[in-house]
Amino acid sequence: MATVTLNQAQKTYPNGFKAIHGIDLKIEDGEFTVLVGPSGCGKSTLLRMIAGLESISDGEISIDDKVVNKIAPADRDIAMVFQNYALYPHMNNYDNMAYGLKNRGYSKAEIDTKVREAARILQLDDHLERKPRQLSGGQRQRVAMGRAIVREPKVFLFDEPLSNLDAKLRVDMRLEIKNLQQRLGITSVYVTHDQVEAMTLADRLIVMNGGIAEQIGSPIDIYEKPASQFVAGFIGSPAMNFLKGKVSDDKKHVTFGDGVMLDLDYDVEAGREVTVGIRPEHLDLLQDGEGRINAPVRMVESLGAETLVYLDFGANADNVTLRLQGTHQFAKGDQLSLSVPANKIHLFDIDSGKRL
Amino acid sequence: MYQSKWRIFTNHTILVLGALFMILPVWIAFASSTHTREYVFQNGLQFWPGGEFFSNYGAILFDAEATKGRVTALEMLFNSMVLGLGFAIGKVIISMMAAYAIVYFRFKLAVPLFWIIFSTLLLPLEVRIVPSYEVVADLGLLNSYTGLILPLIASATGTFFFRQFYRSVPDELLEAARLDGAGPIRFFIDILVPLSVTMIAAIFIIMFVVGWNQYLWPLLMTTDDQLYTIVIGIKQVYNSLYEGGQIPQFPKAFALTIMATIPPVLVVVIFQRMFVKGLVETEK
Repeated sequence: MATVTLNQAQKTYPNGFKAIHGIDLKIEDGEFTVLVGPSGCGKSTLLRMIAGLESISDGEISIDDKVVNKIAPADRDIAMVFQNYALYPHMNNYDNMAYGLKNRGYSKAEIDTKVREAARILQLDDHLERKPRQLSGGQRQRVAMGRAIVREPKVFLFDEPLSNLDAKLRVDMRLEIKNLQQRLGITSVYVTHDQVEAMTLADRLIVMNGGIAEQIGSPIDIYEKPASQFVAGFIGSPAMNFLKGKVSDDKKHVTFGDGVMLDLDYDVEAGREVTVGIRPEHLDLLQDGEGRINAPVRMVESLGAETLVYLDFGANADNVTLRLQGTHQFAKGDQLSLSVPANKIHLFDIDSGKRL
Repeated sequence: MYQSKWRIFTNHTILVLGALFMILPVWIAFASSTHTREYVFQNGLQFWPGGEFFSNYGAILFDAEATKGRVTALEMLFNSMVLGLGFAIGKVIISMMAAYAIVYFRFKLAVPLFWIIFSTLLLPLEVRIVPSYEVVADLGLLNSYTGLILPLIASATGTFFFRQFYRSVPDELLEAARLDGAGPIRFFIDILVPLSVTMIAAIFIIMFVVGWNQYLWPLLMTTDDQLYTIVIGIKQVYNSLYEGGQIPQFPKAFALTIMATIPPVLVVVIFQRMFVKGLVETEK
């Protein structure tokens, strides 16, 4: 049980590259925090700084109010699960889980109790005598989690643990991790580039970009009120549509190039150029001619439960996606008539990308 | 892959001929070593074994007179074994530790140091044998096992191979071990050494054979017969073949040669299995 506090934590590599530009964060006891962002955004670096595998260039990281900057990884009372599992290939699964306990001087009997308990929780009882290579990817990942659990650490760190698994297994393991974390109530930090994992697992989500935290909040807050165009584009699948627009003189509408006009529920100065963000699921399909927006179909992807329609918006946007429930039959070139509720429109500054 | 009967036949013929070509001289040496010296002297090399196996090999192994020196073949085999094992084990240990330091510890000059070690590959023993001799002589180590083994124990080849292997071990293993509370020594012993078993077997095979076959160095280092290795012993026996006006000791010379080849062959056969097994089973 522990809190993790980051106080202006920074990381500068010896070659001068600044990977983390000072992050403030307080992770509450038992909270599941997810760091999400594209590759190279510094999320893994930040996790490794908490783990102690990367030094902290400036600022402080504390676990339970104790500054850990100078404390060795083994003494921080944390456990980490790696993307490639990092199991010791020459040891059987029992020894893999027991190794950390052995090094900490636990007695054989204690080790045995703890390992068997972890194996029971993770349904690995039958596999303890086997070597990691004799297990499937999912089982290996469970052994890696077992290795973390037996230590009963204050903090769990996950570094993209599901990236090496196939799609179905990833969903199963995701649920299992969430379940396990809730049952054990251990403070967890989880790094992923997969926004579905991020949305489903997180109590609190941290969207990172270029070494800074773009937004910190609950998954739903971030989905509903993205703080920037980057966050808006990163969270949500398919990604949010962005169009160039202009706020009308009466401030009640936003207009696009050829006279399309949408209702607006925003307090923005009249005549301002803006980036308009609309999520694919918030575009409503109406009867012919009833909607404010009319656009031809470029391509259709049927997924069964839903249909993704790509629309041609000409010069106003690169690509606009429409997400519809169920199956729909459209041909290329069909004109669709659409509208968007005023409260589902997001406006961003055209230069800074910040939410208006 | 489908192969026609013809092709299989041709391939096997070539392989069998090649194998015979390699084995025949050894076989002839062995067959000739089981006859009396008079018989070999009169009739030349023999293709079929004779009845003197036990007496010839017994004499070589246990009777110093038969090897024309003051040591028996058994003692020479023992010396060779000490040299071969000391040489191979020493090289494995030293080069593993050197590579560990180079790969896992960040210290100044690690890279230049590695290249200095590596460049010593360009200096074979023969080039530096006089200064090496001088150093060993000054240390008073002539005519000792230490003097035989120690100066040869550093290995650029071994260090290089282990370095390449360590670099292929995923960093996450080191990180996981650090989180598991393993210090540098624990990590080396618990993780790295078990993972290197195949490399150790490979380097051990190569180095044992190289050590066993050392000729020039033991010849310089040892003036005392008691420290002669079997390779020197063979030379000595052949040298004295025509001395003294007696009938040459061909069978015993052959017997000594055959015995000298057995231990390296055994090492290769035994460790190669382990080597191949390790290659198949290891997964990093």
